[in-house]
Amino acid sequence: MAYQLYRNTTLGNSLQESLDELIQTQQITPQLALQVLLQFDKAINTALANRVRNRVNFRGSLNTYRFCDNVWTFVLNDVEFREVTELVKVDKVKIVACDGKSDSSCSAADVLLCFCASALFFF
Amino acid sequence: MASSANSNPVPKLYKNVIDDVINEVRELFLDEGVDEQVLLELKTLWENKLLQSKAVEGFHTDEQKALQAAQQQQQQVQQVQQVQQVTQPAQSQQVILPPQQQQAPQQQVIVQESKLIHMGGTGMSAAATAATLALPTAVTQYQQLLTSQGQILQLVRGPNGAQYIIQPQQQILLQQQMQPGGVQAPVIQQVMQAAAMAPQPSQAATAQVQQVQQAPGATAPQASAQPQAQQQQQAQPQGQQPPMMLQVDGTGETSSEEDEDEEEYDEDDDEEKDKDGAEDGQVEEEPLNSGDDVSDEEDQELFETDNVVVCQYDKIHRSKNKWKFHLKDGIMNLNGRDYVFSKAIGDAEW
Repeated sequence: MAYQLYRNTTLGNSLQESLDELIQTQQITPQLALQVLLQFDKAINTALANRVRNRVNFRGSLNTYRFCDNVWTFVLNDVEFREVTELVKVDKVKIVACDGKSDSSCSAADVLLCFCASALFFF
Repeated sequence: MASSANSNPVPKLYKNVIDDVINEVRELFLDEGVDEQVLLELKTLWENKLLQSKAVEGFHTDEQKALQAAQQQQQQVQQVQQVQQVTQPAQSQQVILPPQQQQAPQQQVIVQESKLIHMGGTGMSAAATAATLALPTAVTQYQQLLTSQGQILQLVRGPNGAQYIIQPQQQILLQQQMQPGGVQAPVIQQVMQAAAMAPQPSQAATAQVQQVQQAPGATAPQASAQPQAQQQQQAQPQGQQPPMMLQVDGTGETSSEEDEDEEEYDEDDDEEKDKDGAEDGQVEEEPLNSGDDVSDEEDQELFETDNVVVCQYDKIHRSKNKWKFHLKDGIMNLNGRDYVFSKAIGDAEW
């Protein structure tokens, strides 16, 4: 099972919202929507692994870190993201990372839990 | 932006993912007996939301390209119509001049901005009328539906493909930017509405939105000048309006004073006035904000977005308080925009 990690991205959220709208108008069943999301997980994981080929560097100061359920959550401040083409600076960024090696499925729920919990934990 | 020069991979990636997903689930849809149409709708909704989020740069669907082409044509057409309308004989009081072409922020704000009423001359002079009201640029089509009550519903088709029916409930003042010399009715256009409402000074208070003001009398344009009209005029006809503008409503005077105050006061008071009787608070707020923020949004680095990176980690290393991150396959949303990476290496001190 592919990581459900990417559901909380622009792409994933817009898909979920669209599916929700269709469910509301009863054009599809929730079950079908779930299937679509699972398919999305597969597609995005594959696409990221195969179609993307760029590197990014970043530097900043670490504000908080958390490791829970094999999910790392970091909050960094004053970060610069550097790619060959451009530089992006942000005051604050939250990084959520699932284990890239093992096949453990990192569900969206886990990620969300870490998202929310970290807020309570550190702030 | 520079990224486009090096072919930003994000739009392509997203398009690929969308296409992959749609194709894969087509079978699922058919198995469930769901029509292909729904599948297409899902795709459209999905793409539209991505467009709306502005997180992806250069994410053009075919529809959007077609719309952009259409927009340019429309602008030219509208400008021509402006001229035509001015020269029309002024028997009808309705000499409507389309608003200046606004730089509507993208195509999304159409609905809010286009709460304009185009009066088709209910029961008044037959001729005239039906000048096309120029809506903000991004609107591709609009139609006017005249209901039996004389209310005009405007059917607007936004670039999203969604259709909106706008029911004018407020009073909006149309300001003419050019003056047809010798036209009887001076600048102000009066619109009759079935639902007569007292002039809402706070309504449609945006620089971009024109206001149509309702007056009981059909003929004489007893323009009750709304203070907002004065506030928001962009191209007010010079010198002709002031003498004709009478203020009928009571709350008007305050807003011009507050115009000098901070924006926040305006908004608060406008909201209060809204509650007096208006329904469409949102019309006012969005245009207010959008008027100010059009260029700001683009330039401003820091949005309200939570800058988030969702990825997988290869290795996380720490030595005393020095952390090193080895990440991969990530999607980032920074300053409102989306980025992707296959590998990311970072350093931070805790």
